[in-house]
Amino acid sequence: MRINRFWSTAATLLAIYAIVKWGIPAASRSITGLPFPLPVPGALVFIYMTLAVVALAILVTFSDRYMDEFVQPVRRFLRGDYGRHPRSVVLVLVPLLAGWQAWDITAPEVAVPAALRIQHPSSNFPKSFETLKNPHASPPEADVQAFVEQAKANNVGFIAQVEADVKRWREANPDKHALEFIATAPMKKFLAALKSGSVDPRAAKAALIEKTLFEGRALYAMNCRACHGDSTAGDGPMADGFKLRPIDFTDNGTIETIVEGYTFWRVTNGGPGLPTEATPWDSAMPEWKLTLTEEERWKIILAEYDLAQKTPRIPEKH
Amino acid sequence: MKAVRTIVLGIAATLAPLALAADKPAKAKPAETPELLEQGRTVYFRRCSFCHGLMGDGDGPAAEFLDPRPRDFTLGTYKFRTTQSGKLPTDEDLFRTVSRGLPGTAMQGFDKETIKNGLTEDERWAVIAWIKTFAQEFKNPEYDPYKQKVSLPKDMPASSEATIAKGKQVFERAKCWECHGKQGRGDGQKAFDRTDDWGFPIRIRNVTHPWKIKGGTAVEDIYLRFTTGINGTPMPSFIEGVPKEEDRWALATYIQSLQHRQTEHQVLKPLRVEGAVPSASGDATWTKAPPMDVRLAGQVTAPPRWQNPSIELVTVRAVANDKEIAFLLQWDDAFKDAVHKDDQELDAKELAKVGGYSSYVDPYKQVPRKLETFRDAIALQFPVKPPEGTKRPHFLRGDASSPVHLWHWKADLEEQGKRSVEEAIARGWKQPAKPLGEKQQLVAGKAEWNDGRWSVVMKRALAAADASGVQFTPGVFVPLALNVWDGSNGEHGLLMSVSTWHYVFLEAPTPVRVYGYTGFAVLATGLLGFGLMRKAQRSD
Repeated sequence: MRINRFWSTAATLLAIYAIVKWGIPAASRSITGLPFPLPVPGALVFIYMTLAVVALAILVTFSDRYMDEFVQPVRRFLRGDYGRHPRSVVLVLVPLLAGWQAWDITAPEVAVPAALRIQHPSSNFPKSFETLKNPHASPPEADVQAFVEQAKANNVGFIAQVEADVKRWREANPDKHALEFIATAPMKKFLAALKSGSVDPRAAKAALIEKTLFEGRALYAMNCRACHGDSTAGDGPMADGFKLRPIDFTDNGTIETIVEGYTFWRVTNGGPGLPTEATPWDSAMPEWKLTLTEEERWKIILAEYDLAQKTPRIPEKH
Repeated sequence: MKAVRTIVLGIAATLAPLALAADKPAKAKPAETPELLEQGRTVYFRRCSFCHGLMGDGDGPAAEFLDPRPRDFTLGTYKFRTTQSGKLPTDEDLFRTVSRGLPGTAMQGFDKETIKNGLTEDERWAVIAWIKTFAQEFKNPEYDPYKQKVSLPKDMPASSEATIAKGKQVFERAKCWECHGKQGRGDGQKAFDRTDDWGFPIRIRNVTHPWKIKGGTAVEDIYLRFTTGINGTPMPSFIEGVPKEEDRWALATYIQSLQHRQTEHQVLKPLRVEGAVPSASGDATWTKAPPMDVRLAGQVTAPPRWQNPSIELVTVRAVANDKEIAFLLQWDDAFKDAVHKDDQELDAKELAKVGGYSSYVDPYKQVPRKLETFRDAIALQFPVKPPEGTKRPHFLRGDASSPVHLWHWKADLEEQGKRSVEEAIARGWKQPAKPLGEKQQLVAGKAEWNDGRWSVVMKRALAAADASGVQFTPGVFVPLALNVWDGSNGEHGLLMSVSTWHYVFLEAPTPVRVYGYTGFAVLATGLLGFGLMRKAQRSD
C-alpha cells in the first residue's frame, strides 16, 4: 500500500525534527566522549527546519499530480469526510496554538541580570606588578647564608604567629634540633648535612623555602582558609555564603594561568581594588594591604601555590 | 507486590554502600611500620599542624580563630565514633572523618577522590597512625575500641510518616527539646553556659540546618550520634534513656525530617495583593508568598574580620500592593538579645592595624560572646540609585560613588517600644552609615521571637514621596543584600553576617499590546481555517 503524499511529507518533517532535536545531541555524546549531550542551538534548529520545509515544498509542488495528491486529504478533512468533531477540534486548536505562540514571542521576558566572574581586568592591573617575583621563592644568597648560620647556632627565628606552637614543641623535644619538626625531605636532607658539617648552598636554600612554607601555611590557615578552604579548592566553611564562590586554586584555570605579580596585586587590593570593568563587585576578597605586611602576603602566596600543587605562569619577556 | 518490594530492596541494598564508599577504605589497612609513622608525621606536618598544633594539642597557630576549635588529640576524646559513649574511636571512624571532613567546620574532607590535592588512602592511614601516637590510650589494649562497637539496628525501616510521628513522641519523651528546643533549633536552654571538656563555650546544635551537621545528615549518622553520644561535649548517649533500637531509629528519622530544604533561586518575587500588605509576621498572607533563602557568611572583607558568624540562613518573603511593599525576614537564633551596651563594643580601629598579630577577631578572647551585651539586628540593603547594566555597588555597604540604603531593624528598639527600624545611607564600610533625617524615616518594623526564630516585618511605600532612597518599580530588578547580627555571639558593627546581592522583582502588568497581538493571531488563524473549510465545502 502506498502512503499518501500528505502523510509522507508530514512524517518526513517530523523525522527530520527528531533527528535535529534528539538524534544529534545523542550522537554528540559518543563523538565528544563527554558525559552530557550537546544540544543543537535554537537558531540552528530553525535553519534546518526551514531548509527541510523548502525542500519538501519544492517536492510537493513539482507537478500538479503531486500537488493534488498532497492537498486531497486536507480538502477532505475540511469537508468533514473524517467526521465533524475532529474538524471542529482542529479548527479551534490551531488558532489557540497560534495565539500561544504570539503571546510567547511578544510578552516581555524576565531575565535575571547576568553576573559574570571576570578574572583578568583589561586595565588597572598595574604593569609594575607584572614582573614582580616572590622574594621567598628564590631567597637571595645573603638570606640563605644567614639562615645556615642560625641553623648552626640552633636559634632560627619564626614569625610571631607560629612562635607559641614552635616553643611548645621545642620544650617537649629539648634534645632535637629546632627545625626537626619540619618533617619534609628537603629539611631532613639539610639537617643531615648540617650534622656532617658540609652544607650545600642549594640544600640550604631548599630548607629555607620549607621553613617559609611552614609559616605561609599557618598564615593561609589563619587568613584565607575560612573561604578558600584547607583544600585551597574554594570550599571553606563560609564558601556557600557567597553567590560568587571563592576561587578554587586547584582548578587548572585559576592561579596557574597568572603570574605571581598578579596574584600579589589581587591579594593586596582585593575586591574593592578591582577596576570598574570588573563590576559587579561581588568579590568578597579583602584588601589585604590593610592588615597583612608585604612579607606575610608573599609567604601566603608561596604556600598557596604549594598547597594547590600549582606553579605560577612565567612573565613574558618584553 | 512482593516482587516489586524485593527489587526495591535489592536496589537500595546495592546503592547504600555506594553512598558511603568514599568514607570507607577500599583496601586493607596497612601495617603500622616505622616508615608508615614517618610518612604520617610528614603528612601531619604539612596538612594538619597549623590547626591541630605541632604537638597535636589542638592549639596550632590558626586554632584560636576556629569555632569549634580543632581537636586536641592528646586526650583520645573523639566526637564521631561507632563505639560506646566515652570510648576511643575505631581506625575506620578516624578514616571516615579524615576522608569526608566535618561539614560546617574548618575540618574538610581530605579524600583525593573529592579534592585534587587530597590524600591517598595510604597517606590517610599513615596520618591516622601518627595522630594516634599523641594519646597513650590507643596503646592500652584495655581500651580496645573494637570491643566497644555499637552497631546499627537490625531493622531499619525507611523514613515514613509513621516513623516520623513515632520519632516525635520519642523526642518529647526523651526530652531532647530541653537542649535542642521544641523545633530543633538549639534554643532549649535559657542560659548560654554550655562548655566542652576543655572549657570552651559550645553551641547546642540547630538540627534543622543540614550543612552544619558535622557527623552526617543520613538517618544512620543521626542514629549513631545519640546512640554513641558525642564525647567531650554535653551530648550524652541515649542508649539507656531510649533503650529500644526501633525507638532510636524512629527518632533519627524524625530529626532528619526537620532538616531545612533550601530554595535555589536569587530573585524574590513579592506576592501581589489587592488589599493592605501585612504589618506583622502572624498574618496568613505570608504563607502564600514564595520564600527565598539567603545564605550568609562572616563579614571578612573589611577589618575587623569575622570568621565565626552564627546566622547563616535568612528566609525572605515579600508582599506588595500598588502602594506598599512588606518584607518578612525569618532566621534561627537560639537567644533573644534585646539589650545593647555601647561601651562593650570593640574599637575597630585598634583591631585594623597593619601587620597586627591577626587580622581576624579572636572569638574566644576579643569579643564578649554572652547574653545581655549586644542586640540582635538585621539590615536590608538596597542600592540608592537603580543599577545601570550589570554595575552594582559593592555588596559590603557600597562605596562613595555608589551609596546603599539600609533598613536597619534593632531588637533593643523593638523591645523598648520605639520605632524599631532606622534608615541610613552608607558609602562604603570605612565610615559608619549616616542615618536619614527624622522626616525621611519611613520604614515601619514589627518583630517577634518564637521558639528560637526571629520573624521581622519591614514595610514601606514602593516609592518614597521625596524620591530619596530605594524605589520599587514594577519590571525592574532591585538588588537586595542582608546584614545580620547575633548579639550573644558578640556581633556588632562590622562583626556580622553578610550576604551578597540577590534581587527583588515586582512583576509588571502585561502590556496591552501583548493581548492585542495574541487576539489578532487567534482571530486571523481562526478566520483563515473557517474560510478554507467553506471553500473546501463549496468546491464539491
